[in-house]
Amino acid sequence: MSDVVVARATGLGFAYRPGEFAVRNLDLELHRGEVFGLLGRNGAGKTTTVRLLTTLLPPTEGTGELFGRDLRHCGRAERERIGVVLQSESLDFVTVERNLTLYAFLWSVPREVAKSRAEEMLELFELNHVRRRKPWALSGGERRRFQVARELMHEMDLLFLDEPTVGLDALTRKRILAYLAARAKRGLSIVFTTHILHEADELCDRIGILQGGRLRATGAPADLKREYRGSRFVEAEFDRPVTPEEDRDLDAMLARRNPEFTQVARSAARVEFRAPDAEGLVAELAAWTASRGLRLVRIAVREPTLEEAFVGLVADGAGLEDDREDAS
Amino acid sequence: MRLPPVLRLLVRNFESNLDVITLIVMFGQPAFLIVVLGTMFTPIVGNLGTSGSYTSFLVPGMIASQMITGAVLSGRIFWLDRRWSMVEQLFSGPFRRYEYLAALLLTTLTFALVGVGIMAVVALPLVGLPLLSPLELLDILGTIGLGAIFFGGLLIALGCRIRSANLYFTIQSVLQYFLVFISTVYYPVTSKTPFVLRAIVYANPLTYAANTVRDAFRHHFGPGDVIAAAILAGLSAVTFTLAVIAFRSLDFGPVQ
Repeated sequence: MSDVVVARATGLGFAYRPGEFAVRNLDLELHRGEVFGLLGRNGAGKTTTVRLLTTLLPPTEGTGELFGRDLRHCGRAERERIGVVLQSESLDFVTVERNLTLYAFLWSVPREVAKSRAEEMLELFELNHVRRRKPWALSGGERRRFQVARELMHEMDLLFLDEPTVGLDALTRKRILAYLAARAKRGLSIVFTTHILHEADELCDRIGILQGGRLRATGAPADLKREYRGSRFVEAEFDRPVTPEEDRDLDAMLARRNPEFTQVARSAARVEFRAPDAEGLVAELAAWTASRGLRLVRIAVREPTLEEAFVGLVADGAGLEDDREDAS
Repeated sequence: MRLPPVLRLLVRNFESNLDVITLIVMFGQPAFLIVVLGTMFTPIVGNLGTSGSYTSFLVPGMIASQMITGAVLSGRIFWLDRRWSMVEQLFSGPFRRYEYLAALLLTTLTFALVGVGIMAVVALPLVGLPLLSPLELLDILGTIGLGAIFFGGLLIALGCRIRSANLYFTIQSVLQYFLVFISTVYYPVTSKTPFVLRAIVYANPLTYAANTVRDAFRHHFGPGDVIAAAILAGLSAVTFTLAVIAFRSLDFGPVQ
């Protein structure tokens, strides 16, 4: 990832109707070779953000830049440098193979280059066996692979992928993500929206979490996980189920000694907590276990997963007054 | 060589979204009507004054109606592009909105002219074709061009606003049949035509186009045709403006 900024948003916003913002106060910088993940619940504003940054929608507030040019004044020169895989399926009513070459023709890719690239994409995205079929006759996963393959028919500096892996099996997903990661290493910037959080964790250099049209948090996946309330998770397993009396005693002890903990899971012989002072909690659990004649079979401290950080962050902001459904 | 964006889109419009069967039906139907209606009605109707036989009367009308065939085909391409998100996809790529619109109208025009050619080929063995002067030929092509822009603009403007395929294709079918049947394509307006019907027929741009083509075929090109062309040009400008306005505010929300 380099320091060169390919896209920038400053207080960027869009309202489908006056006062009803789908995206608001978006501050963002995308760098060359960076993979940026946009996460958020349905209607959080991910697709609207992509539409704003791809110049499909004009901002109704704030400013933005694409390759240094104001989004409101971006034209062909800037759009020729981006690729967009839309969330919705887009296709022409010709065969899969011809879709690829026709799309390349639209982008003025020389015929010979288009032909060899189409072969490469058909191979890479495992579409060779359906190359003579019409796209609507493909399975859901094949159609999604086809969408991504078609967009990669032309050269670009910045690629927007709006939920590109929906409906893909794990192996295909891994292969596509590996290909995208390799392209990013060669300088392609990628904006990536997804609901599959471990995928974002694997691929993205940085992640932005959108909620109610606002960017709630931005950072590297590891930082987001670490910074999420500064909490870590403590998992403990006892050698036997705790009695109801021990259960009440454990609650009382934890409430007294470590009131900031949050219980995540609990069964007869297993507990899991989120706590800002994980080491303190481990010591107290160990002491309590010994005092009750129990034995700890296992005790572990772990970082939150991206999914836990995401759920925690989104749950914290669930009551935001300005939440707006993304009308897109 | 890098083709201009409008031409690239034009090539795509011809290749994508339209299957051979659709094209055969769209162009075959009017050709079929010339043959069947011409054959069946000519003995019943007899001579239609300066127009000659009913088939001779029908042919210029069917040629004029090709402006609607072209517009319907382009409207269909646009609708399918919306339905399958290709409008959004193309606008996020190296195309400007006006280029897409220009390509659609150029597609309309090309289809209309292809239709004219097919009708001429069908009519030739039945009634022959008059030897037209360059001015008359220009008049016919210009009228059909303007008409194609009129109907194309109208359907594109409608297509930008309507979100349901059912509604769009219903409106398009009703409009198509209404305009063709309440015009002078199939029958002339006479003194016996009821006033209301006559008023509607003369409010229909297709009437002016059919009359202009008919006049050119009979070598009766006159000031009335110039006025008709001016009216058609005005109406085309209006629907073209409507299409541009609708296009500028086109949103990419879901359509069904």
